[in-house]
This record gives sequence, C-alpha cells and structure tokens, in this order.
Amino acid sequence: MRVRNFPYRAFALPLLLLRFSAAADEPKPTPENTISIKLENEVKPQTFPRPIKFFIEKVVDRSGSPEPMRVIKERGGVFLDKQPPEIVQQALTDTLQNSNLLAADRASADYLLTVYLFHFGLGEGTGYEFFGKVDLNVVVKNVSTGKSSEITALGTSIQGAAVRKKNILKNIQANIDEALESALRNFLRGTKLRDAVVAPDAKPAAPPQASQILRFVARPLKGRYDHA
Amino acid sequence: MRKYYLLLAAAVFLLTTWASAKDQPKFKSIEVKHFPNAEGVELPPEFSDFLYAELKETLQKKNLAEQLIGEDEVVDSADAAQSVILEGSVLEYKKGSVVKEQLTRGWGGGRSLTAHVKMLRRSNNEVMIDKDIKVGVPAMADPKHLARFLAGKIAGEMKHQDR
Repeated sequence: MRVRNFPYRAFALPLLLLRFSAAADEPKPTPENTISIKLENEVKPQTFPRPIKFFIEKVVDRSGSPEPMRVIKERGGVFLDKQPPEIVQQALTDTLQNSNLLAADRASADYLLTVYLFHFGLGEGTGYEFFGKVDLNVVVKNVSTGKSSEITALGTSIQGAAVRKKNILKNIQANIDEALESALRNFLRGTKLRDAVVAPDAKPAAPPQASQILRFVARPLKGRYDHA
Repeated sequence: MRKYYLLLAAAVFLLTTWASAKDQPKFKSIEVKHFPNAEGVELPPEFSDFLYAELKETLQKKNLAEQLIGEDEVVDSADAAQSVILEGSVLEYKKGSVVKEQLTRGWGGGRSLTAHVKMLRRSNNEVMIDKDIKVGVPAMADPKHLARFLAGKIAGEMKHQDR
C-alpha cells in the first residue's frame, strides 16, 4: 500500500512546498514599503454663482479589490498607509474646507456628496512606467429638492519606472498623489458639477402674461391700422 | 571695436528673445478628451484611459500649454480664445501577426492603429487640426505602446500648428 502511494506523494510534496513558499512570498506591509498619499498642491474648485456648502456623506469603495491597500505585489510590495476611501475623504474634506465649501454638519449642507471609488492606485500600463489612476463617481444630492446627479471624475498620471526600491516608492507615491489631485480637480472644476449645482436653482422662465401675449399679437396689427 | 560690441549685444538680445519665445507655451489651456472607439474596434479596456493619460503627459512635457485640463472642466472665458480642445476617435486597430512579421522581416504584420484627431479653438470652435494619424508597433509589443506613439505624433502636430 505504501509503495503504491509513493509516486502520488512524491508528486504532491513539491507542489505543497511550492504552495507554502508562495504563501511565504506574499508581501506584508512594513514601514519600509508603505506610502502615505496626501495632496501636494491645493485644488481650487470653480466659483459658484452663490455661496453653497457640501457635506461628504460617505466614501464607498467599489473597486472590488480584495487587497485595496496593496498597490503592487512585485519587489516586496508597496502598500498604502490608509484605506483608499479614507484617503479620498480626507483629501476632499481638506479641499472643500480650504475653499470654504464644506458644511459643518449634514443639516447645514446644501448638497450631500456620496463618493463611489471605482479605482484607486495603479492602472494597467505597458510595464515601462507607473500609470496612476483614480476613478470616482460622485452622487450630488440637493438637500432642498432631493434631486440627485451623478458625476464621474477621472484622474491619471504617468511616471517613469524605477529600479531601486526607494525610487519605486517615490514614483508610485507621486503618481497616485497626482492622479488623486487630478481626479478631485476634474470633479470640482467640472461642468457637470456646475450644471448639477446651478441647474436646479435656476428658476424656470415665468409663463408670459395674457397682457404680454395680447401686446405681441396686437403689435403688427397696430402698425398696420394706425396710419390708415 | 565698438562695432563688435554692438554685434555681440545684438546677438545676445536675439538669442534671449528666441529662447524666451521658445519657452512660452503655445496655448493657455488644452482640454484633452477621451478617444472613443469606432464600431468594431477591439482594444484592451484600459486603453482609452491610458491614451488620455499619455496625451496629458506628453503635452505637458512638450510645454504646449500653460495648463492641461481634464475632460469637461471649466475654463476662464478670458482664456477661451487661446485655449483648445483636443478630441478624436480610434478608427481602426489591427492586432498584427507575429508569423507575418517574421515572414516579411518586419515589413508587415505589425500592430497598427489609426485615429482621427481634431483640435478645436475653444472660443469659436474653429477647426485647427482635422486629420487621421496612423501609428504602428511590432506585433509582440503591448497595444498600449500605440497610445504612447499616438500621443507623441499628436503633440508633434500640435506643436507645428499656428496659434
């Protein structure tokens, strides 16, 4: 019996060892391979016709990534220090606060923002560069009317590849920073946000009064018959 | 001797003027739009975003505009006359064939992409560039390399365009 099972065991053992060694190779976050994403440059939102306040209700991760904090697996891995929704919430809060567009609480807000995060980190490039990509979908809800608008915002950045681990970390950090900044700018300076914020408040033109209609109809007649 | 000094001063003046004119960006802003695929064009799903990113990066590197703005971002109306919109579409993509490439010794069989590119002045929608651009890479190369070459060619076209 033992002799008969030997070939199977001999075949299974290396596979098992390979599986365990692969599990041991899984990179773990350490201070050396962790990066912190913060906005380097201030994002200036567009100016709105009247003072308005936004409140960030929540930021939801819709990337579907099992490990959202891991940016790359190769070269011992690169990790984010926070969950992507936390990073986006912080960046958006800071930007709105700096521009005096952030409401103190939900009750005092004119618009509620729900951010869906579809991609945060590196996208698929050619392999010769780092392609940073932040893809957002923001639902802007008007508190007074209850009307919602969906706005997509995309931020991208391309940085050269690096060989040294230190440079890889630096380039990836700069790359995601820039992509996040670009996505926030795309949202806050976008025409879609302007339309969402301005359009519901724009009062529809008042229907013409009966006297105006009569005056319009009567004008050609008046000219025609006055001199007669 | 005075003549030489005058000539030298004139040369320095001309050189500095030329250098400063060269450093000045051509446009106030360039809005880059995504290039949609024409019917039947099958490219990797990330291609469109990658081309968008490559275009922004290449135009930034070439210093063609004071600012590169994302899709559908607002622009100051005062800058509209000196701002342009870059749009286009991918008309054709050929995957290529490694075998054909080997048989023809690189004269055929490579990946290729043809895009229609349009550059419009923001203020009056004047068409400044309206042409098809074709790029190619070896059949083994990643199709996203086509995006890089296309971005480079578009930037070249824009650079030689009058303001």
